[in-house]
Amino acid sequence: MSELRALLREWRAAAGKRLPPWSSRALAGFFIVIGIVLPFGFGSASGFMNATIIALAYAVMSLGLNIVVGFAGLLDLGYVAFYALGAYSLGWFGSGFFFKAQVHVLVSKVASTLPGVHLNFILILIAAALICAAAGAVIGLPTLRLRGDYIAIVTLAFGEIIGDVAVNGQSVHVGGGMTLTAGNLGISAVDAPYFPGIGSFGLLDLRPWYWLIFAILLVVLFVNLRLRDSRLGRAWVALREDEVAAVSMGIPLVKTKLLAYAIGAAFGGMSGAFFGTYYTEVNAGQFQFGFSIFILAMVIIGGLGSIWGAVVGGMVLGYINNYLIPDVLNTLPSKLGFNFQLTEVEFGIFGFLLVIMMVLRPQGLIPERRRRLELTAEIAPADAQLAEAPGTPGGAA
Amino acid sequence: MRRTSAIAALAAVALAVVGCSSSSSSSSSGSSSTSSSGGTVDIYSSLPLQGASTAQTDPMVNGIKLALSQAGGKAGKWTVNYQSLDDSTAAAGKWDPGQTAANARKAATDPKAVYYIGEFNSGASEVSIPILNQAGLPQVSPANTYVGLTTNLPGSAPGEPQKYYPTGVRTYLRIVPIDSIQAASDLIAMKQAGCTKVAVANDKEAYGAGLATLLELEKGYYGVNVVSDTGIDPTAPNFRSYASTIQGEGADCFFFAGIVSNGAVQITKDVNSALPKAKIFGGDGVCTDSYTAASKGGVPASIDPLIECTVATQDLAAYPGGKAFLAAYQAKYGTANPDPYAIYGYEVMKLGLDTIASLGAQGNSKSAVLKALFAIKARNSVLGTYGFDKNGDTTLKAYGLYKVAANGEPVFLKTITPTKTVS
Amino acid sequence: METTTISPIPPPVAAHPLAAVRRYFGRWGLIAALAALPIYYGISDLTRGYQAGYVAGHVVMHHDLSKLGFNFAVGLSNGAIWALIAIGYTLVYGIIELINFAHGDVFMIGSFTAVGLWGTLGLGLTTGALGLIGGLIVTLIITMLVTGSLNVLIERVAYRPLRGAPKLAALITAVGFSFILQNVGLLWRGGSPQSVNDLIRTQQAVFTIGGVPIQRGYILAFAVMIPLVFALTWFINTTRAGRAMRATAQDPEAARLMGINVNATISLTFLLGGMLAGAAGLVYALYETNVWYFQGFKAGLIAFTAAVMGGIGNVRGAVLGGLIIGVIQALSDSRLGPQWTEAVVFGYLIAIMVLRPRGLLGEETREAG
Repeated sequence: MSELRALLREWRAAAGKRLPPWSSRALAGFFIVIGIVLPFGFGSASGFMNATIIALAYAVMSLGLNIVVGFAGLLDLGYVAFYALGAYSLGWFGSGFFFKAQVHVLVSKVASTLPGVHLNFILILIAAALICAAAGAVIGLPTLRLRGDYIAIVTLAFGEIIGDVAVNGQSVHVGGGMTLTAGNLGISAVDAPYFPGIGSFGLLDLRPWYWLIFAILLVVLFVNLRLRDSRLGRAWVALREDEVAAVSMGIPLVKTKLLAYAIGAAFGGMSGAFFGTYYTEVNAGQFQFGFSIFILAMVIIGGLGSIWGAVVGGMVLGYINNYLIPDVLNTLPSKLGFNFQLTEVEFGIFGFLLVIMMVLRPQGLIPERRRRLELTAEIAPADAQLAEAPGTPGGAA
Repeated sequence: MRRTSAIAALAAVALAVVGCSSSSSSSSSGSSSTSSSGGTVDIYSSLPLQGASTAQTDPMVNGIKLALSQAGGKAGKWTVNYQSLDDSTAAAGKWDPGQTAANARKAATDPKAVYYIGEFNSGASEVSIPILNQAGLPQVSPANTYVGLTTNLPGSAPGEPQKYYPTGVRTYLRIVPIDSIQAASDLIAMKQAGCTKVAVANDKEAYGAGLATLLELEKGYYGVNVVSDTGIDPTAPNFRSYASTIQGEGADCFFFAGIVSNGAVQITKDVNSALPKAKIFGGDGVCTDSYTAASKGGVPASIDPLIECTVATQDLAAYPGGKAFLAAYQAKYGTANPDPYAIYGYEVMKLGLDTIASLGAQGNSKSAVLKALFAIKARNSVLGTYGFDKNGDTTLKAYGLYKVAANGEPVFLKTITPTKTVS
Repeated sequence: METTTISPIPPPVAAHPLAAVRRYFGRWGLIAALAALPIYYGISDLTRGYQAGYVAGHVVMHHDLSKLGFNFAVGLSNGAIWALIAIGYTLVYGIIELINFAHGDVFMIGSFTAVGLWGTLGLGLTTGALGLIGGLIVTLIITMLVTGSLNVLIERVAYRPLRGAPKLAALITAVGFSFILQNVGLLWRGGSPQSVNDLIRTQQAVFTIGGVPIQRGYILAFAVMIPLVFALTWFINTTRAGRAMRATAQDPEAARLMGINVNATISLTFLLGGMLAGAAGLVYALYETNVWYFQGFKAGLIAFTAAVMGGIGNVRGAVLGGLIIGVIQALSDSRLGPQWTEAVVFGYLIAIMVLRPRGLLGEETREAG
């Protein structure tokens, strides 16, 4: 088996040598074009388009968590907090929720007559990113001196606290008869994105939504790729691998860790704002702990620390959760004679996937180079210079 | 980047494969014949088919299917293709916003859909009405009672109901009287039972919170002293601290505004422990055997004599079509005493079928069906004669008061027609 | 890089003067934070009083500590349940340094099993006292065996293969198993909380101390917890297997060198932790008269907070932490409102992490100091 893999690797390396240097850029451009024209191949409101949009939004979110858990090695189990804050940014600044205010910035004609705070969607995206970045830094502060498992618990606790605030915000009054959130009643009928010249997005034609989230994904991908190869990205990896050594080499511990939390949270917030407007409501019941695990599963199954892994993981799990299980395979158990539908065992399927991945392939689908070295014994010839000393505590697979 | 190209290629292939596979709906279709006279129209229903609400929604779906089968699967010359969608998820055990939106979108993008039965929970309708409104699809709810969905009466939130109708045209109707009437009926019942201090608990959802708010707003009309209105956490393991708080307030009656899945049984048990003599009241969200019958997961039998609840359905035998409905229901499903909501399922489907049939060749046009529905002023139905006002609300204005029989099932006690409600 | 100096290994915590201050402040700060709630409400009850009833149109105000006492009684009994679960967390963490995320769900399976056994054994509201006690003891034994075996199975299947892998992998596997168990519970009894029979009339007061009714539920919780904790402590301290557990917790490699079967010891630890979780599950079902597939997740977080508060790896600390958290919950439920209780408990967790990560009774370790 490993011989076959080595052979495939050789072929790939040989093929790679024969391609001109601009081939990877061209390929990337090709896939961007495919992404743009994809909606024309499917119905404008089909279940598949719906699942694709959600999958892309999950990919953005898992890219955010990938920065925290993958790059910086800080196990964050409370990522749902940033989803919530992003969605509530939309609920606060893009709907009639704060009905005493009359703020309108670059919104559609219909929305400019409604009470409340109505900002353009791009402004809300920026606001969500900033709010979540601040929250991420606040959440990260108590964890600075703690180690892995404890960071997990503290971030989990913060995630639960934000969830509680979301539910109980219904009774927290901010003046003028308005409350902080709408709890389980939900902030409903939020604004759809509006662009001058294009108009307001409707709920029936999913194509504009698709292009919007695709554009957001491309921007976030670009930022991620630049971050990974930047000084900050390398600082994160250094901290992850050996904190003491990194600090003694002069890497500012606090600033680097807080930046990891903040930037990771900002992406989560952007995706959360998109989800808020796509689902047309912001309901406290959407922000449960299970969501944090869901996103973490995407990052892990995709490959911890790997950007493409996070994207693939996000899309794969998004499709499985929103298309494969409810739409395509839901009646499979009844066809096999069982008395339940597949959506009822969704939890269990995810748990099973997590366990299987960890036992069989802990490095994920598209492993980051260093992680593959850590967790398996393979060393590709191209990576020989990255190889660490033998005897690393890997060899789990 | 080479690795990424390989992965991206794989992903594209996977997308293509997945996209080309047909998606099946999580539903069961009704009867559809292959007759060549006229085409097909699609009718959807979106109800919570998992969790404690099934005690009410399963009989409702049965009623829907009964009406359809009595019409031979047709509405006039049109063949009806009925799909029963589930707006609940297993994990929540009750309705789910994402699932509701997906159902609404599915119906909204179906060009052959002409009628949408839903939702069961008022909070779910808040999600689906805007989506269906944009498609112009007529939507009739057999159970929503929250006032803000169609009116701006006291008890609704600011911006309601316009925010649910982005096109400005109403596309939503309901065949049950709204909560301003139900709250008044409950207050009358509590007054007649001799309550001096009522403690209200609500489950913080659109229906429960709305009903509790209306109880507070209308209590003065009927001289009932509501001492507290508390929002509870539906998933709390017990409500003993709440029970001891209302014991300290000296409450002698307890009203639960909410649905069964939201802790109704546990809070009733805890209140009964703290106040063994307190009378228990509830709205239509709990007036079903999953709340009242111990064998179906409800409260212990010792509490049953203390319970009274209200549902829109009155004495089935007194309805013009009631006896016939009971007989047909028993013949088809074998149950002699279905849940009060069964007949509403029957009527909501019959309403749709009759309206489509009356339009003849226009029966597959959403806008025609919508106009015809709003034009109904005096319809003879199994529930009696009723029409719709310009908000889409029914002209029926009475509620039925139920108590619990020895076998744990709710049984009709009397009709209450309130005279004064908020306006 | 080798050094030629023979300097002693530097102390694990920097000998910074401020650190000593921080440590002192940390311990007393934590104790002050914990005592703040009871002291505040005690004083408030005595001075401002609390509404205890309504007689003939007048509010009846009491000015004594019996409401506080009531809060404490409720809190300590709930805390006894959390203590049983927390011991499982602390034992497992002490021996393999893994947060067993699935432990809370093992507790949930224990509750579900117990309720199922009631049905099988025919225990109902009309069963006589003798039959009830006998039936409950049988239920307790069977439930403990089931959950103990389940815990051992999870360890064998999920954690042992990953013993050499990075910690993250085992943690994720634990979460995965937690989800699987939750789904089992979901399929078993549905998504909403399910009311179960109040078999022992848990809210009936047996006697009253100083105005505080002592209910049957409280006595049950302590009647189960105290013997089990004593038995466990005796086991760990006196038996050979218990010594092996302590040795493995200190240093697995050295224990292996001394001839201890580390794998068997770890399995034994999981077995004991699982059995205690099963007992907690039965007590929970009797006490709350309500089971829910998600209860394990919530209870797990609370119990883990308790274990951390007491000092992870320390059985006495887990018990102490459980009782303290139970009291905090009861106070929050009764005074601030149940909707804020979870946030309050987690706020305390974060406070512990900031002020004194090793907990009240824990020793300073390199990582968490």
